[in-house]
Amino acid sequence: MAGSTLSEIATPEITELAPLIVLLPMIAFAVILFLGRVFNGNPTWKNTVKEGGIIALGVMGAVLVLSLLLIADFIGSVQAGHDSVFHWFTSGVWDGTSAGVSTDKFGFGLYVDHITVMLLFVAAFLCLLINVFSIGYMNTDPINDNRNHRFYAEFTLFCSGMLGMVLADSFLWLFIFWEIMGLCSYLLIGFYYERPSAAYAAKKAFLTTRVGDVFLMIGLVMLWDLFGSLDYTVVFDSANIEHVAEHSAGTLQWALGLMFIGAVGKSAQFPLHVWLPDAMEGPTPVSALIHAATMVNAGLYLVARMFPFFGAEALHGDLADLAYIIAVVGGITAVMAAAIAFVQMDLKKVLAYSTMSQLAYIFTGLGCALYLANTLDWHHNEKDHYIVIVAFGAALFHLFNHAMAKGMLFMASGSVIHEVHHAHHHLHHHDDHGDGHGDDHHDEEFDAQSMENMGGLASKMPITATAMLVGSASIMGLPLIGGFWSKEGIIANAWRVAQDDPRFLLPAMCVLIGAGMTGFYMSRMWLKTFAGKPNNEVAAHVGPTNIWIKTPLFILTFVSLSSVFLAGMGFTHWAPDENYAFMQEKSLVDGIIYEMQHAFANSDAYFFIITYIAIAMGAVAGPGLAMALYGGKLEDGESAKPWMTPVISLNAWVMNRFNFDNSAFAESTLAVALQNRLYIDHYYDMAMVKIVAGLSNKVAQADSDVIDGTIKTIETGSQSLSTAVRSLTTGSARDYILMVAVGMLAIFMLVWGVA
Amino acid sequence: METTQAFSSEFYTALLPELMLFAGLLALIIIPNLGKGTFRIPGTQIRLPWFMGGERYALTSNPHLPAWIATITLTGAFLAVGDSLRGGIDSLLVMSSDADEAKELLMINGFSRVFELIFFGALALASFASMNRLKVEGIGAKLDVEKLYNNRRQADFYILMLTCGLGMSVVALAQDLFVLFIGLELASFSTYVLVAFLKETKAGAEAGMKYFIVGSVASGVGLYGLSMLYLWAGSLQFDVLAATFATSGTEPLPLIGIGFVLVGFGFKVSAAPFHFAAPDAYAGASSPVAGVLATASKAMGMVGLIRMLLIVAAPESSEGSAVWLVCLGALAALTMTWGNLAALGSTNPKRMLAYSSVAHAGYMLAGLTAVGAWTWDPSFAGQEGEAALMVLTALLFHMVVLVAFKLGAFLVLSILESDGDASRLSSLGGLAKREPLLAFGMFIFMISLAGVPPMAGFLSKLMVIMGIVNVGVGTGAESLSDFHWVWWLALLMVLNSAVSVFYYLRVAVVMFFDAPEEGREGPLPSGWQVRTSIFACVLVTILVGIFGDSILEMCRSAAESLTTNW
Repeated sequence: MAGSTLSEIATPEITELAPLIVLLPMIAFAVILFLGRVFNGNPTWKNTVKEGGIIALGVMGAVLVLSLLLIADFIGSVQAGHDSVFHWFTSGVWDGTSAGVSTDKFGFGLYVDHITVMLLFVAAFLCLLINVFSIGYMNTDPINDNRNHRFYAEFTLFCSGMLGMVLADSFLWLFIFWEIMGLCSYLLIGFYYERPSAAYAAKKAFLTTRVGDVFLMIGLVMLWDLFGSLDYTVVFDSANIEHVAEHSAGTLQWALGLMFIGAVGKSAQFPLHVWLPDAMEGPTPVSALIHAATMVNAGLYLVARMFPFFGAEALHGDLADLAYIIAVVGGITAVMAAAIAFVQMDLKKVLAYSTMSQLAYIFTGLGCALYLANTLDWHHNEKDHYIVIVAFGAALFHLFNHAMAKGMLFMASGSVIHEVHHAHHHLHHHDDHGDGHGDDHHDEEFDAQSMENMGGLASKMPITATAMLVGSASIMGLPLIGGFWSKEGIIANAWRVAQDDPRFLLPAMCVLIGAGMTGFYMSRMWLKTFAGKPNNEVAAHVGPTNIWIKTPLFILTFVSLSSVFLAGMGFTHWAPDENYAFMQEKSLVDGIIYEMQHAFANSDAYFFIITYIAIAMGAVAGPGLAMALYGGKLEDGESAKPWMTPVISLNAWVMNRFNFDNSAFAESTLAVALQNRLYIDHYYDMAMVKIVAGLSNKVAQADSDVIDGTIKTIETGSQSLSTAVRSLTTGSARDYILMVAVGMLAIFMLVWGVA
Repeated sequence: METTQAFSSEFYTALLPELMLFAGLLALIIIPNLGKGTFRIPGTQIRLPWFMGGERYALTSNPHLPAWIATITLTGAFLAVGDSLRGGIDSLLVMSSDADEAKELLMINGFSRVFELIFFGALALASFASMNRLKVEGIGAKLDVEKLYNNRRQADFYILMLTCGLGMSVVALAQDLFVLFIGLELASFSTYVLVAFLKETKAGAEAGMKYFIVGSVASGVGLYGLSMLYLWAGSLQFDVLAATFATSGTEPLPLIGIGFVLVGFGFKVSAAPFHFAAPDAYAGASSPVAGVLATASKAMGMVGLIRMLLIVAAPESSEGSAVWLVCLGALAALTMTWGNLAALGSTNPKRMLAYSSVAHAGYMLAGLTAVGAWTWDPSFAGQEGEAALMVLTALLFHMVVLVAFKLGAFLVLSILESDGDASRLSSLGGLAKREPLLAFGMFIFMISLAGVPPMAGFLSKLMVIMGIVNVGVGTGAESLSDFHWVWWLALLMVLNSAVSVFYYLRVAVVMFFDAPEEGREGPLPSGWQVRTSIFACVLVTILVGIFGDSILEMCRSAAESLTTNW
């Protein structure tokens, strides 16, 4: 980061293997696609190799191992205080000095710093788990038969895109991998392309993110114009930043602002958020992959990557407005998405809006951290340095916690949907699964994703219910679990900035209210799904799920619960600070005690109050309201696991004591507006139909007439030329000799003429 | 540069690969004839065993034997050349005697060695693969005449392969027009017969005949050109000719001579309009032989052209060289365009590859034009030779790697030929289903021919184009009108490459998306030899594209060793 020395990583063996992290999945993509085409339908391919699932699994395992080695290596070399750049290949393309052709460099390298390491772990780890889940989810559904290889191929390419984006050493490569992800999201969301809604959703996701990408591209071009390069080593160099700051700090702010729009599109923030809920049309592993492990984190990563600009001394105060915009976009999205999540009946859509809202938290956190870095004198003042680091760390930590929890929640929801669907099948057809009748989870008359068809599943799917419970708690920020540590940090920092700059009261209020709203909609989701009596016959017949699905849920539950240890190890310190000596400043126990004190007994009265308001809203008011409205006792004779029983009992008690009728609200204009996603999609569609479609028709007309016309002419022209030329090859040796003679005479004439 | 005389010990060491070929040739003639034959002393009843003729031994009558002898010999020669290249070789000039007025005969240096590498490599792969193409039908069992005949003529085929190699390497080594011509004809006659080897098929006999007739005419014209040069300079020596050219190269007689030589070698590299027999020959010959024609034989034509044009006919700043430069440039433009256009509509994969080979010849001629332009055009006088060296390196590199993906493509077709037929595009249908790895290999060859990164074909084509552009732009040119006209050849080459992608990828489309022809759904004929050869070609195509540095280095030093004489 700012002013740090860049050096080669200590042990070259690992770094030389590190490009494999990107290359292996990319190769797996080609291999799976090829083998899948060739062996489609082959029983070994289908049952043993799982149509490529096992290949993908092996590759993702190798990727995780390599990533861990790289991370261990990085942590080792960081003790010496270095960031690392590794040029994997650089080649001067044509040294034309002797002949006047300009020389340029082209290469791909790795840039490894704290942010990279953290996201690398998140991506590699979750991709592996989701891969395991996919084998349990995709391969057991007859509708996917003989096309799972397409899924696994696109899956690995997607992972490759994310890993490459995280590891890239320049904004150019970041953009290239960013676009690979964009392509894969299109392919994967539209995996069931025969279904019009999926095709529509894929198109929508692709086009919406494309809007952001255009701005990102313009931003990158502007950045290149300022620095003459997009390499991190060049643009983050403090001398270069100083040089740019002298003349064109304003232009730099515009460039970064345009790049931020790209991040807004990718991370589904207002106003480019419309694609994310529709993206639930993809198979559930894809939802987990896009909304937890990879794609949406890309936008966050891009903003976090901008930290060196905001932290540069030379740009002190110049970028504060952009930081504010980032925080405000986050704040607005957090509240808006949470409000829409209130009324969703579709299990996955609740999670989709929850993702949007939580990402907005991270954006707010990043915005505040960037604001602090830009306005405080943190290079020289130790206390300010601490404040900046902790603010940035809180945002990164929330990214980590959210990715883990949301990955788990999506997989758990997938598990529920899968089993509800099977139960439905079982009940209504009483014949084999392999009857080919299933239309995945979208039968005309039955919607397996709707919470209307669930309820009381806590006793039937204990592992899934537990995972969902822990995941929800982590997202809500229940004290001590998962996202609590980071969410409190984000809220506290937003209010800290609001002290300095009253403009920030808006995002600060948003995240505070959002905490209560999160508590409500996440509780609502869990209670409607797992507590109470089964809503219908189908829900009563759901059975437990298979081992491939259970394993990742189990692991992630554990990870979310152990977030307290990460906090104790000072995650918020070492994640953003390259000079922080990992695990050396405090022991684990001291660290946990320190974090506890900080969280629950802050010596500063201001933060003390804020913390308790946030806890009260997120852990008491929100869930309490949800409990009063939804859920209830399980069916008589059914019992949940002991750790879920208190929750259900509490729920039943609250429901009895405080139940009220909310039907008036449910029919209000606001609720209808929320049902319709605040009509934003509606207006976008209208704008599309009226303006864009009209324009595109004109362009298409011109395309088919002018461009295609030209191409067609060339094509027919060259084909007829080809025929003419080949007609000279008569097959008679006499004619051939004649042609030799003609050629000879031509040369003779030419020479004669010149000589 | 060291010199030595013919038949000295140094001569034998340096010509080890050719001697190996010669030994292999003798072995091929003698070994299949070893038997229990006896010789009766006249007038007596005493019979002395003399081991020739009569009833053959089991080993010597084995029809597989000639193929193995040829393959091992060619591989050995290939390795010997490779070994001598690895150590970095000094130039060795072979003189006819140690007298003062001795004539230069052969030159062994990095340049000639690279060509030997190409010849022996291509021929070794082709003969190895031919084991599956030229079928041996069981040994000792009751055979009908035709099959027995097939077994009997195995030796003939491989003898021709070896003589072909020998002739080619003589062309690469020659320092004298007479030696050059001898080598050329030795190689040519071998290829004529090889093309017609499948004389039972109508196409084979007809193709061989046409190839022979047109080839003879071209050779005749070439020889006429050579004789003009002799008439003018009074010598057949390259060094004498070059020296004479430097002083009086603008006279019409030598220029017309060079022009006629261009016709002779133009046929060998199949430059338009001398290429007409080539598609017929490729289509009629068995695929491995067609592969040899498209790679080794073409390289032989190129080495002849390089020698004639760059060494003999191009002394420094002679105005006369500008004449052949224009001829060559026109020939290059015509050849690449013609080849690509004709390939566009070809539905016979072998003819398509033949036309593609014509197009590649055009690219190489364009490169050669650029070398000439840079080195001898007066407008470049006094500037460094780096750009020309680069184009020459690129040309050599192109010819080396072409062996992998052009021959490889023919070998894939050879398996299909054994399966029945490879003369229609639809014969390739469903190859991906029938034998996925083979389809994958063919796909690699096609995209390498089209010049898609990271295949070897991309690198070589890119280098040739960049080299020509460098020459065309020169050092001072700032606007289009200042560019040397060879720059337009590079542009034409790019356009042609774009056109060529169509017919290369059409093969991929047929292989991967079309159904097999009726009755050809089953597995392809077995044969590990041809598959091993294809695998080697795939490996080279991919690896050289990525790790080609050492081969590039080799070609560069070869190009340097040629230019030290400039």
